[in-house]
Amino acid sequence: MTSETLVWLIPLPPLLAFFLIVVFTNRNKALSHWLALIAAGLSWAISMVIFGRAVRTEGLAEHPIAQAIPWLPTGTTSLNIGIQIDPLSAVTLFFVAITVLMIFIYSTGYHNYGQPAGQHDHKGLPPEGAEVEDAKGKLVKVPSIEPMYSRFFALISLFAFAMFLLVVTDNLLTLYVGWEIMGLCSYLLIGFWYAKESARKAMIKAFLTTRVGDVFMLLGLAALYTLTGTLNYQEILGNPDVLGQLAGALSPVLGLSWAALIGILIFIGTVGKSAQFPLHIWLPDAMEGPTPVSAMIHAATMVSAGVYLAIRFFPLLSVGWEPGAALTTPMMVMGVIGSFTALFAATIAVAQNDVKRVLAFSTISQLGYMIAALGVGAYAAAAFHLVTHAFFKALLFLGSGSIIHGMEHGIFHTHEHVDPQNMLNMGGLRKKMPITFWTFLIGGLALSGFPLITAGFWSKDEILSGAFKGGQMGVFITLALAALLTAFYTARQITLTFLGKPRSKAAEHAHESKWTMTAPLAILSVFAIGAGWAGIPEDFPGLGGLLPNWFEEFVGSMLHFEHAEAVHSLVPLITSLVVALGGLALGWVVYRGLQRPVDPLEKSLGGLHTVLKNKYYIDEFYQAAFIRPANWVANVFTYKILDQTVIDGILHGIARFGVWLGKGLRNVIDLPVVNGAGDNAARGTRGVGMYLRSQQSGRIQQYMVIAISLLVLAGLVIYFTVGMS
Amino acid sequence: MIPLSWYLIAAAALFCIGLFGVLSRKNAVSILMSIELMLNAVNINLVAFWHYHSQIQGVSQVAPQVFVAMVFIIAAAEVAVGLALIISAYKRRETSVVDEMTLLKG
Amino acid sequence: MDFIEKHLLTLILFAPTVAALILLFVPGKYVKAFRWGALAASIIPFALTLVAWARFNPDPNPAAPFQFVEQAAWYAAINASYHLGIDGISLPMVLLTTLLTPLALLASFSIKERVKPYMILFLLLETGMLGVFMSLDLMLFFVFWEVGLVPMYFLIAQWGGSNRNYAALKFVLYTMGGSLGLLLAIQLMGVAVGSFDLVTLTEKWPTIQSLAVPIGIPIETVKTIAFWAFVIAFAIKVPVWPFHTWLPDAHTEAPTAGSMILAGVLLKLGAYGFLRLVLPLFPVEAQRFAWVLAALAVAAIIFGALGALAQNDFKRLVAYSSINHMGFVVLAVAAAAYTWNTTAANTLLDKNLALSGAVLQMFNHGLSAAGMFFLVGVIYERTHTRDLKEMGGLYAILPVYGTVLIFTAMASLGLPGLGGFVSEFLVVRGVWPIFTAAAALSMIGLFFTGAYILKALKLVLHGPLNTRWEGHLTDISARELVVMAPLMVLILLIGVWPAWLLDMINRAVAFLF
Repeated sequence: MTSETLVWLIPLPPLLAFFLIVVFTNRNKALSHWLALIAAGLSWAISMVIFGRAVRTEGLAEHPIAQAIPWLPTGTTSLNIGIQIDPLSAVTLFFVAITVLMIFIYSTGYHNYGQPAGQHDHKGLPPEGAEVEDAKGKLVKVPSIEPMYSRFFALISLFAFAMFLLVVTDNLLTLYVGWEIMGLCSYLLIGFWYAKESARKAMIKAFLTTRVGDVFMLLGLAALYTLTGTLNYQEILGNPDVLGQLAGALSPVLGLSWAALIGILIFIGTVGKSAQFPLHIWLPDAMEGPTPVSAMIHAATMVSAGVYLAIRFFPLLSVGWEPGAALTTPMMVMGVIGSFTALFAATIAVAQNDVKRVLAFSTISQLGYMIAALGVGAYAAAAFHLVTHAFFKALLFLGSGSIIHGMEHGIFHTHEHVDPQNMLNMGGLRKKMPITFWTFLIGGLALSGFPLITAGFWSKDEILSGAFKGGQMGVFITLALAALLTAFYTARQITLTFLGKPRSKAAEHAHESKWTMTAPLAILSVFAIGAGWAGIPEDFPGLGGLLPNWFEEFVGSMLHFEHAEAVHSLVPLITSLVVALGGLALGWVVYRGLQRPVDPLEKSLGGLHTVLKNKYYIDEFYQAAFIRPANWVANVFTYKILDQTVIDGILHGIARFGVWLGKGLRNVIDLPVVNGAGDNAARGTRGVGMYLRSQQSGRIQQYMVIAISLLVLAGLVIYFTVGMS
Repeated sequence: MIPLSWYLIAAAALFCIGLFGVLSRKNAVSILMSIELMLNAVNINLVAFWHYHSQIQGVSQVAPQVFVAMVFIIAAAEVAVGLALIISAYKRRETSVVDEMTLLKG
Repeated sequence: MDFIEKHLLTLILFAPTVAALILLFVPGKYVKAFRWGALAASIIPFALTLVAWARFNPDPNPAAPFQFVEQAAWYAAINASYHLGIDGISLPMVLLTTLLTPLALLASFSIKERVKPYMILFLLLETGMLGVFMSLDLMLFFVFWEVGLVPMYFLIAQWGGSNRNYAALKFVLYTMGGSLGLLLAIQLMGVAVGSFDLVTLTEKWPTIQSLAVPIGIPIETVKTIAFWAFVIAFAIKVPVWPFHTWLPDAHTEAPTAGSMILAGVLLKLGAYGFLRLVLPLFPVEAQRFAWVLAALAVAAIIFGALGALAQNDFKRLVAYSSINHMGFVVLAVAAAAYTWNTTAANTLLDKNLALSGAVLQMFNHGLSAAGMFFLVGVIYERTHTRDLKEMGGLYAILPVYGTVLIFTAMASLGLPGLGGFVSEFLVVRGVWPIFTAAAALSMIGLFFTGAYILKALKLVLHGPLNTRWEGHLTDISARELVVMAPLMVLILLIGVWPAWLLDMINRAVAFLF
């Protein structure tokens, strides 16, 4: 089959699975998850075939695997949509397909397939466990299967479809379609357990915050379409003339060129989707969703889509820039926002106690890294970090899910009422959950950038050297500090969770998870270690040159200029070694041997710790500055004041005036004049009649007098007028 | 010859007296009598004209005589009926004063 | 067959009336006969519309843009004839009407009292709506315009909610008030040009220099007054802010099927009036005042969304969403008006995109609004309340309903992949180069649309199950699913493959004016 046809087929299996599950197999859990798994597996298989073909194609960037069909009739032409596989989408497809498949497999175990249904389980709430009789006849509590099992697989299948769609498409409009459908799935999955108030709030927060980014992106999309007449990547981003035109034309906003304005508008979409400051607030709350959701949507794929978009549009964002030249405005914006977010989120992560929250902020921070990398022009480095981060972050999240399951097992066993997600209640899980421990350790080391044997090291190193070499010291120092904190909180997390002694009874009785959960962990950790070796820079002391820097060559071919080789001054390398190892060591030292579930940093940092724990109170600020006023504008201003008082007031006023006028006219004209005329005529006649009646005395002689006088009078009149002539 | 006008004046005077009586007498019978006077005044008129007319014409006419006879007869009939009415009304109302019979009062 | 072809439009138009007359003679107690009879009667125009669709020439001649034209003498003395015809803009609207009416009648199976007058009124209403879309003569247009009002008034006043008298009266007086100016302007134009025929008027009226009757006012002023008379009438119907306050009351108090038709079709009458009458007949004035229309449209988009966000009554929330969506239509119309005589190829493309988006948005909104109102009706029949605060957690006991509601709500929200996005995208794309600020401001409305849709979903479906409903509610029934299914399929179809509909619209708007 031709590559083009295969690429069209990639997003379809999960979509089909979604429909089938929703319409037909909703009641049957096994059938549902098999449909989803087979679909994910099919998409993965085809993706791997395509990836294989793509890496073997020469000049893929100039001649991508592409095909388009007319879709939207527009005047005399039409907007075409289609598929495009170039180096960037090929590597994205690679990691998306694998992580999606791993997470699908993991989900069957996470949602306790095979376990009995809980007696008190409700749809809309997380399962609480089932009471069963064990071998000795004693009632024990075991994990119960998720009541909305099939729905979960339907939704993640729809999500997988949207993500694949986004990756394989060749134009911004279809990307936007996939983008928004992912937003819908994210909304539905964050609020999967919709009976929880926190989940309900989080799902709306996620949707609306990303929507802020999306509406700006839509404006950028419309502007781009207007100016270039197309939304196809090759026609815009692969065409230097078009890019030059956009860079030359001045927009009416702030003196920016159209390229810069559109770039910034599209970047705002990324800010929303990839949870950069200031639209980062939804991602930590999104942890309300089940852990596979957090892993897939909020670590590996959906938030990566934002970065993918930015990387894809790098030619537009950087038009006019060359390595060594001044950064364009969008690049400066990205650099500032990215590096700020990286540091900002890392500081908050240090003070979080929920195992998933730490990872959430870590994700925000790492995405900031990628954005900052783009901001300083380190294109391949940003893409590289995108790939490696997906692997180790998915690994870490899945690992955290395993940890939580282990803790819940302990809670069922001991009936202790502790939060299974609070790291301060954990400890010593290394012994109870070895596979989880080793895989989590690998992931954590990758995140921290442990030298040489983790993928994270290579990609992070690339970014730091890119910043350094580009002379962007501000970005460099900020990222280095963030890296230090990253290593610190990672070591904190690992130490609190796995090392030392258990700090609660539940942790003592934790239990390793099933193979459906641990196997994906193992597979992902292979990638977390090995993926980095595809991008070893050539002038790395010692190892450089042993393996070709395949990633840089492959993905770097997307850009059209001859980019200078990453001159490896030893400063960035030493910096990354110092911060990684130093941070890890510091984290381990501070937290090892912690006995009581109290964070020692609370006392040493004092007020600062409270601020960090409360995420700098930004949520509260937004609530006061935006949400409450918006609600006021809606409830009070628009509805009560404008609609009901003013507009309806005018209408009711007109109505009252009409009634008043009608009554008035009736009282002035109708009643006296019209009615009056008739009535008065009648009355008058009656009056005359009454008067004349009173004249009837009944006395004949009087009648006769009158008759005779009138007769005489008449006679005289006639005699003198007629008779005389 | 007595001039015609004398007869006519006499008849007119009689008629006016009768008219006056009709209009002003209280008693119903008096009114009837006055009506008789008026009728007879008319008769005098008629006879006077007959007489003078037949003298001028030389032929004696029958029509006026018939006319006068009719007036007599009608007057007689009318008096009979009128008296009967007055007696009937008197029996009802115990009075023959016309001014007191005001059933037609509006 | 030939007869059907030659008189296709008349058959479509009057089939419901004939059916209503037949039903008049059926004794009122045979409720089932009325329900099924009316439903069967409303399928006939739908089938005929499909015939028209199949036989529609996809490549029309610009000189004769209308197809299936029928003309017959009517009021020969004033030159008003019975003139029908459809083009690529009115055929989708006719399809929408003949599709929604059977679905609304199917939804009306739950009406229990006085079914006979209800069904008859509904069929008469259908004729009124179809007449507006098909007529090519101004007098005929006006007749059908008004004919559509009276049955609706009775439907609301007799079978509506608790505040129905106020709502029905407000609806009919407000709309009729607007039509006053319309009638006067029509008279003026008919007398000035000597004919009420739309084709003739479109040629002659814009270039007319003096009126036959010496009024003493310059012709530009007369045209401007006529323009505003037309605009006010249609603006009340669409509705454009600030003439929108009748809509929440009327939609909320109308019975379910009444709301479906009100939101689904009647609002489109106003927008259609803008497209078919205002733009071709008053291009100069429309261009001059396009900025006013654009500003009001943006106000409708924003305030409609904010108003919806403020509601706790489910039906009222959906009603305000209609104001929000129709705002996009008017915005596109304003942008097209502003550029009516442009020759630049780019701007022509923008204008065409905006108009295509407007018509498609009319169609899409008809589908999604009808769907949403129906779903509100479904839940109302079960819970007997429209108060969002009283519901809660219903997803657990009504999973199928919940899924259908989420789908329809997402269609209303304009989720890409579903129809609403295509039309809103076309509108934004078309309006952006013409009224950039308006397009940017409409994004505020788009954002708040998300907010109120999510609010509705949250309060109805999510949340802890309000225990008073446990065990008392039944999930969506087969009949109700049959009502929703065509709407959902069409919405998805337009979202995924819009060409089947957009092609026809695209070609027609190019010759509109």
